[in-house]
Amino acid sequence: MNTIIDGRDMQPPEPMERTLEALDTLGEGDEVLLLLYCQPHPLFSILRQNGYTWSEESRADGTREIRIRKQLG
Amino acid sequence: MHASLSFDQAPPISVPYRFFLVAPWFGVMAGILLAWSGSDAFVSRWTPEALALTHLIALGFMLQAMCGALFQFIPVAVGGNVWRPKLVANTVQPLLLLATLLLVAGFLFSRPGLLSAAVPFFLLALGGFVMVVALALWRTPATGMTLWAMRMAIGGLAVTVLLGSLLAEALAYGLAVPIVELTNVHLVWGLGGWALMLLAGVSYHVVPMFQLTKPYPLWFTRWFGPLLLLLLLAWSLRLFLDLSRWSMLVTLPLLAILSVYAGLTLWLQYTRRRKIHDATSLYFRVAMVSMLILAISGAAFVLWPALGADPRSVVWLGILAFAGVFVSAISGMMYKIVPFLNWLHLQRLGGPISAVPNMKKMIPAEAMTGQLRLHVLAVVLLLAAVWQPGLTRLAGLTLAASCAWLGWNLVGSVRRYQGFRDQIRAAA
Repeated sequence: MNTIIDGRDMQPPEPMERTLEALDTLGEGDEVLLLLYCQPHPLFSILRQNGYTWSEESRADGTREIRIRKQLG
Repeated sequence: MHASLSFDQAPPISVPYRFFLVAPWFGVMAGILLAWSGSDAFVSRWTPEALALTHLIALGFMLQAMCGALFQFIPVAVGGNVWRPKLVANTVQPLLLLATLLLVAGFLFSRPGLLSAAVPFFLLALGGFVMVVALALWRTPATGMTLWAMRMAIGGLAVTVLLGSLLAEALAYGLAVPIVELTNVHLVWGLGGWALMLLAGVSYHVVPMFQLTKPYPLWFTRWFGPLLLLLLLAWSLRLFLDLSRWSMLVTLPLLAILSVYAGLTLWLQYTRRRKIHDATSLYFRVAMVSMLILAISGAAFVLWPALGADPRSVVWLGILAFAGVFVSAISGMMYKIVPFLNWLHLQRLGGPISAVPNMKKMIPAEAMTGQLRLHVLAVVLLLAAVWQPGLTRLAGLTLAASCAWLGWNLVGSVRRYQGFRDQIRAAA
């Protein structure tokens, strides 16, 4: 199941809270898509240390698409 | 799963807080000093009281808060790692405190020996701080204009400290240096190269994030920092060349780019997606309106030299810059950073998300907006006191009261953090 969190209209730390909640129920092969206008370095650190991978893409309007999955293996 | 999440090795919460909790009390000292000095303080920028006040705010309030913020901002915003932050903070902060008090006493009591005594402490504290922060900023794999602005700002701090040290030694030992020109260059690097560069770089990141505005346009973030740096270098040529005839060719563009930054930030706030009127947004608005008034009145002083010849005109600009722009922006930032850090560090305790209270519960909104109103009143009274000296004592007392309230709000937030932390630990 994929989850989309549009954090662009949320005040920090709400996007991080929602993302951490979504990770609680993330299954193998599932994905959390987080939309923000900035790079969430504190979240990246948490993901790195807890076995998640992510990829980032920038849209023309400055939105960053951050796709989070469980690390394989 | 969340309970087992491992959080980043962000600096301990005590690292930024030891700076933040001290900063407002320097503002209180400045207010009390002004109330005690009375109308003499604002006669010109060169009075002992004016020099002491300037450094109480610049070093005691601004630099303390900005150093504390950098320790936290570097890992959170640009993913950099500051080397042994606790050790560095525990060394830098007391040295900076001591150096500031020595310097201020030296100005206030006209004791050049104290100015000279402050220099080694400043060089040690800020030399170490600049090296550690510069290393973190150069080694981070992050990219973007916030990072570049921070790199330029830390260079601006180094230039300011070196020029300030030279000035202190020149005053103590009667060295043959052009004191007035050197002071002008030191002042502009401190306010422009360090404080404004850092504020702009941080704005690119926090204004869209916390105030929910559109991002700053790319053309602006690409050009503002380099242009500011170029203009500061041009301004510094006055040390070597007689620029009196074309000084306005540097000053007017400098004031113009201030206006663009302030106007753009106000525009972003005006056109934002969700209208939020929290203390941080309002404080930023006060800072940007002050910057616009500073740019307009500065331009008027340059274009009509008779107006600018009054020694009080520079005091007017100084109040707008220090109290209007930087104390406002920094207070607004602390009202956002401190609750966020409380939240982040409570998360690190590993309890369930529901156990960690909302960020809005860390400092009551009414306390922040009440303090903001008092600060605005203080700025208005300070500006009025430049032309109506009878208001000086009242302005000083209002400034002291507003800074004390800020300090009290921050202390209250730390107490709440401790209370929530104990609750979460007890529940675990």
